[in-house]
Amino acid sequence: MAQKSGDVVQGTLEMLILKTLALEPMHGYGVALRIEQVSNGVFRVNPGSLLPALARMERAGRVKSEWRSTENNRRAKYYMLTAAGRKALKDETHAWGRQTAAISRILEA
Amino acid sequence: MGLIGNIAAGLRALAGRTSVEREMDEELRGFLESSAEQKVRAGMTPEQAVRAARAEMGSANAVKHRIRSTGWETAIENLWQDLCYSLRMLAKSPVFTLVAVGSLALGIGANTAIFSLMDVVMLRSLPVEDPGRLVLFGQGRMVGSTDSLPDGSRDLFSYSFYRTFSQKNQVYSGVAAIDSIEFSTHGSLSGAMSEVTTASLVSGTYFSVLGVIPDRGRILTDADDKAPGAGAVAVASHRWWQRHGSDPAAVGKTIHMEGTDYTIVGVAPPGFFGATVGDVPDFWIPLSMEKQISPGWNGLDNKWFQSLYLIARLKPGVSVAQASANTNLVFKQILRSDYVSQTPSQNEIESIEHAQIELTSAARGLSRLRVEFSLPLEILTAIAGLVLLVACANLANLLLARGAARSREFGLRMAIGATRSRIIRQLLTESFVLALLGAAVGVACAWNAGHLLLTMASSRSDVAAMNVNPDLRVLAFSLALTVFTALLFGMAPAIRATRLDLTRSLKHGRGIAAPASRISLARGLIVAQIALSLVLLAAASLFLRSLVKLTSVDTGFNRQNVLVFSLDEGAAEIPVDARLVNLEQRIEERVQRLPGVHAASFALFTFNQGMWSNDVTAQGIPRTPDNSQDVLFNVVGNGFFSTMSLPIVSGRGLDAADRTDSPKVAVINETMAHRFFPDGSPVGHRFGMGDNPAHSGDIEIVGVVKNAKYVSLQESPEAAAYFPYSQHAQYEFNFEVRYTGDAAQMIPAVRRAIAEVNPNLPVNAISTLTEQVDESTANQRLIARLSAFFGLLAAFLVCIGIYGLLSYAVARRTSEIGVRMALGAKRSNVLWLILREVLVLAAIGIAIGVPVALEGNHLVAKLLYGLSPADPASLFAAIAMLIGIATVAGYLPARRASLVEPNVALRCE
Repeated sequence: MAQKSGDVVQGTLEMLILKTLALEPMHGYGVALRIEQVSNGVFRVNPGSLLPALARMERAGRVKSEWRSTENNRRAKYYMLTAAGRKALKDETHAWGRQTAAISRILEA
Repeated sequence: MGLIGNIAAGLRALAGRTSVEREMDEELRGFLESSAEQKVRAGMTPEQAVRAARAEMGSANAVKHRIRSTGWETAIENLWQDLCYSLRMLAKSPVFTLVAVGSLALGIGANTAIFSLMDVVMLRSLPVEDPGRLVLFGQGRMVGSTDSLPDGSRDLFSYSFYRTFSQKNQVYSGVAAIDSIEFSTHGSLSGAMSEVTTASLVSGTYFSVLGVIPDRGRILTDADDKAPGAGAVAVASHRWWQRHGSDPAAVGKTIHMEGTDYTIVGVAPPGFFGATVGDVPDFWIPLSMEKQISPGWNGLDNKWFQSLYLIARLKPGVSVAQASANTNLVFKQILRSDYVSQTPSQNEIESIEHAQIELTSAARGLSRLRVEFSLPLEILTAIAGLVLLVACANLANLLLARGAARSREFGLRMAIGATRSRIIRQLLTESFVLALLGAAVGVACAWNAGHLLLTMASSRSDVAAMNVNPDLRVLAFSLALTVFTALLFGMAPAIRATRLDLTRSLKHGRGIAAPASRISLARGLIVAQIALSLVLLAAASLFLRSLVKLTSVDTGFNRQNVLVFSLDEGAAEIPVDARLVNLEQRIEERVQRLPGVHAASFALFTFNQGMWSNDVTAQGIPRTPDNSQDVLFNVVGNGFFSTMSLPIVSGRGLDAADRTDSPKVAVINETMAHRFFPDGSPVGHRFGMGDNPAHSGDIEIVGVVKNAKYVSLQESPEAAAYFPYSQHAQYEFNFEVRYTGDAAQMIPAVRRAIAEVNPNLPVNAISTLTEQVDESTANQRLIARLSAFFGLLAAFLVCIGIYGLLSYAVARRTSEIGVRMALGAKRSNVLWLILREVLVLAAIGIAIGVPVALEGNHLVAKLLYGLSPADPASLFAAIAMLIGIATVAGYLPARRASLVEPNVALRCE
């Protein structure tokens, strides 16, 4: 399982995107690449999930977007966190921490 | 981005679809390129990298679709697509669309029209302050005046009772009195041409009790109603004010009516039509002017002249039950102290014992229309509802068949990824489009139909003035009805149509998926339609037969070739004495000389115009239960019996010998003769009005005339007496002319003759005796016509339904029929095979419908004349008609089945 890259844990994609974007504004592929790299290839985010998630978060006001040129001088849509997004990240991280702690306790009991 | 941002983004996406689309393409392309570059860096060849990146992304369209569906605008876009698609599909099958929209339009339109009528007549509240706190004393059923001691539930009260009650009352914040008669007269505004004007006599408290604020000027006050003849003021209705150019200086002008000048002191607010629904008077005048408006009326000083409705407003915190208890207590106190002597007779004590005031809500006003129409309207509502159900069942059936025919299309759509709910939504959208189209057409028709219905039901002019155009409430009702209808007929077919076995439905062009259940649902719908139609047709034939019986009733008089001129002698200001008699005689003589005129006569009543009745005591005849019933009176000219073609049975008619100064005489009818003088000839006997033997010798009976109908065609024979107007001088409202020849020439000739005798005598309206008789059955005719129309409509829908179902069944069974014929079945066998199916359905439908129809017909028993609600002939007519319809509708598909060529049919498979 660790060798094979897979989908992100259900319900956590938004949190991962938020966390990734908290570092700096990024375009869609940048987000996908970063998640894959940081997770050592455990999670691979498909554009079919990533781009709709970004669109949904933009509608919800958690991220905003802007067209900028990339390092290769190409135009790309960059996403960045809004204040609401930062708050959402904090809340979700907190909730996630409690859930994983609880799950670990159950598994270790 | 927040809610507003979300909405803005959605709108932007809707408006600038191409630019949003372009941005999405660019983002995806950028993603692919970056991904490919990364893979090249990781060691792939550029071609491999691009292919791998594409593979990772999958279908770009699917991704775009998923991005798009994150916004709310997608739902609208889907809806829009569904709408366009629905319209395209409907346009593709115009016959289906026409039938569907047409039947829905009739169903929804009929319901809307009848509901709007019902709304006006029965449901709308009075446009006054807090109408829920208003109560009416009694039911408001009686009109006119009565002079009897209250015995039982009371509707009409005297002016003195109103005054005394107002003083003693503890539970109402105010009591108002309204004359039960609305006076029609001629009025002239500041000396202008006089015109027909209506006035309602009300107490000074009327407007304040109702809580009506004047549009301009002031309302009537108690001071206007203080002393008889002292309140020559009037409040104009807004409608009258508008009819007279909305004159800003109207307040202060005078209106001349019946010899008195009234100062207009105010204008009522728009929409206020008084307390009586359907009667909009031009003026409200204080009751103190009763004698001036109607010289014969002496309610102000005669406590036995009981002609007023009373409306009161409950004090805050007082319940209707408390008010009722207190009202009846005070009522009986006043009766005991003012209406009977110190030592009342046993009869009087019993009467007072029985006397009571039934408080009814006056929130919706008084309405003769409501009394007249509530049952017919309820029946029509039920009928229209049934028709809509039949239309829904029919449409559901058509949609089922259509769904079957389109199963290949649905299969294909589901195969390429459409979800079932998406297709159900699409099908329901189609149903809604149909329902909305139908509703639009239906409401457009209903816009005028309400008025048409009202004028069909009643020719009274004030009825025509009612606003029955559907208002927002009615439109909301129609809209709710439409949604309900669409769900009712659309849901089952949509669910059924999408329950598909994909491979099978794609393989066969024709839908054969779940055929058994689909057919049984369709059959159930047909059975339901037949049962409902039977109920409608049975009711319709019952109403028609009842109407035929009613119109063939012997009226006694000959209704053909009689013109009735309605005159307003009061407006000509002719004094009520010998001068009036002289005028009437001169007019009769003059008109009688016109060529083509056989007879002409004045009359107080012709037919169905109200009544004047009283007890009668005959000299030397003991009172029996038979002869103590009221006798109806009429005051007529000498030519009345020949004008009405009523033969004199014995004695003589009225003639020139009956002068003002000669002994008083009367001609009585056969029923009165029989009730009072069962054993001998009444001619020469004497009688008097009332139950006092002292007056029993007042009037001599000079003749007996054949019975005639007096108030309605339904009435049982009534005792009646006719007096010559020469001996009962009073304003006569009718002038009747029996003629031969062309009415169009007769009318101006008679008018000219009247004008030659007195140019100031206005003719209000001209009708014929036939019209008056027809008018008396307007209700029955309205119901008979509409129920017949709706019954036929339902039958027609059943026809379409059966035809559609069988055509479909025959098409499905083509190969089976081919096999049967190949095995030797004759064409007649096949014909019967199919027809039998229809007849079985019809039999089941009829078996269900008959008990329902019998039960339903009991509800309409009140409206029937001379027929039992279980009248077998009507029921058989309905059954025969339905079987006929089913056979006709089934014959065409059955014949088609019998013409199947076995080898062609078998090769098909």
